[in-house]
Amino acid sequence: MYLSVYLPLLFSAVFGLAAPVLARRLPPHVATWLLSVGGLLSAAASSASLALLAFLFLAQNPVLMARGHWSENFLRGHAEYAVPVGALATVAVGLFAARFVRAAARRVTAVRDAYRLAAALPVSGGELAVLDAADRQAFAVPGRPGRIVVTTGLLRSLDAGQRRALLAHERAHLARRHHLHQSVVAVAASVNPLLGQLPAALELSCERWADEDAARVCQRATVADALTLAATGTPLTAPAVVLAAAGGDVATRVVALYAPAPKLVVWRVTLLSVLLAATAVAVALALHDTERLFELAQSAYRTGKR
Amino acid sequence: MSRRRASGGLESEVLATLWAAEKPLTAGDVVDALGRGLAYTTVQTILARLHVKGAVHREQVGRAHAYTPVLDEAGLAANRMRAMLDRGGDHAAVLTRFLGTLTPDEEATLANLLARQRPAGGGG
Repeated sequence: MYLSVYLPLLFSAVFGLAAPVLARRLPPHVATWLLSVGGLLSAAASSASLALLAFLFLAQNPVLMARGHWSENFLRGHAEYAVPVGALATVAVGLFAARFVRAAARRVTAVRDAYRLAAALPVSGGELAVLDAADRQAFAVPGRPGRIVVTTGLLRSLDAGQRRALLAHERAHLARRHHLHQSVVAVAASVNPLLGQLPAALELSCERWADEDAARVCQRATVADALTLAATGTPLTAPAVVLAAAGGDVATRVVALYAPAPKLVVWRVTLLSVLLAATAVAVALALHDTERLFELAQSAYRTGKR
Repeated sequence: MSRRRASGGLESEVLATLWAAEKPLTAGDVVDALGRGLAYTTVQTILARLHVKGAVHREQVGRAHAYTPVLDEAGLAANRMRAMLDRGGDHAAVLTRFLGTLTPDEEATLANLLARQRPAGGGG
């Protein structure tokens, strides 16, 4: 177990580093699912590893040893890992648990506020709500039903085909429930700093997915044109503060749209799936070994008493 | 279900066209503006539906109706949305923007791309 308990941490580091590349290279719907499901799995596995290390550390406390009827000598002799690692893991578990609660609460509040906003928007225009404002902005507001908000400034700077591309893009965000993928990844990253690049990578893959969906109802170049027109006309000084939080890469998207639709590279996906499966196996092994260790410690305790 | 979604999409397109126009449009004008061979009656039906819902205002121009979008009481919702964006973090992230994030570097990259993609004469 002494290796398998560390493997999920190593694997999540690899996954976290690969995330930005995945978001750029894979077909965006594949990348999005792989990033959110893989991120969830990675975060769960690394949390389980830390929890195990913390448990092994805490179990060597004399009070707990006596309560669990574990043989002190046996545990000390067989839990072959450095005590500082256990202490560190214990601190990390506490810290990440707090971060998890905070991140989850923030997400729930944000999604609830978005649902309220979607319900508060005027219904006369159906899915579309137009804001009479000069800046060029477009949003998908998740809700029941989700809504699309576009400013008149943006609508007036696009032609009919580009407006169609814009609406199809925003509709794709809602239909594909991208906010759920984003929420999963935000929470996953909160419990594992090694996954820190995941949210930005996922934002890019979601945007690319919506671009590809839009490219189904019009030319790829039309989507790219709508994007560049909207982008170069945006006054960046004020909204930059707001925009700095996330990290979608408009230039990458435009380049992707000028290239043919992305094809699935099987070996990349296979490699990652193997990595994720190995993570799950490593956790299972570590859990199994720990259970066995404590069983043995108990029987050693009974033998010692006799 | 998919039929309803499709017609809902067309409704948004027609409404977006009226907003972009900055002057009243007749059903014929909208057909021309959309420029993708939609039937006149289809557009007329959508405009009538938007009128019933109160999304557009119409006036008689000769023998046809000319339509203008109604500026509804979106003010409150707009303030709410700006507030959500100003909070940043998760609140801003939940509202997926068309543009995502733009850094000054990206702006420069885009300007270059545009210059390359649209040499004199254009057409991409």
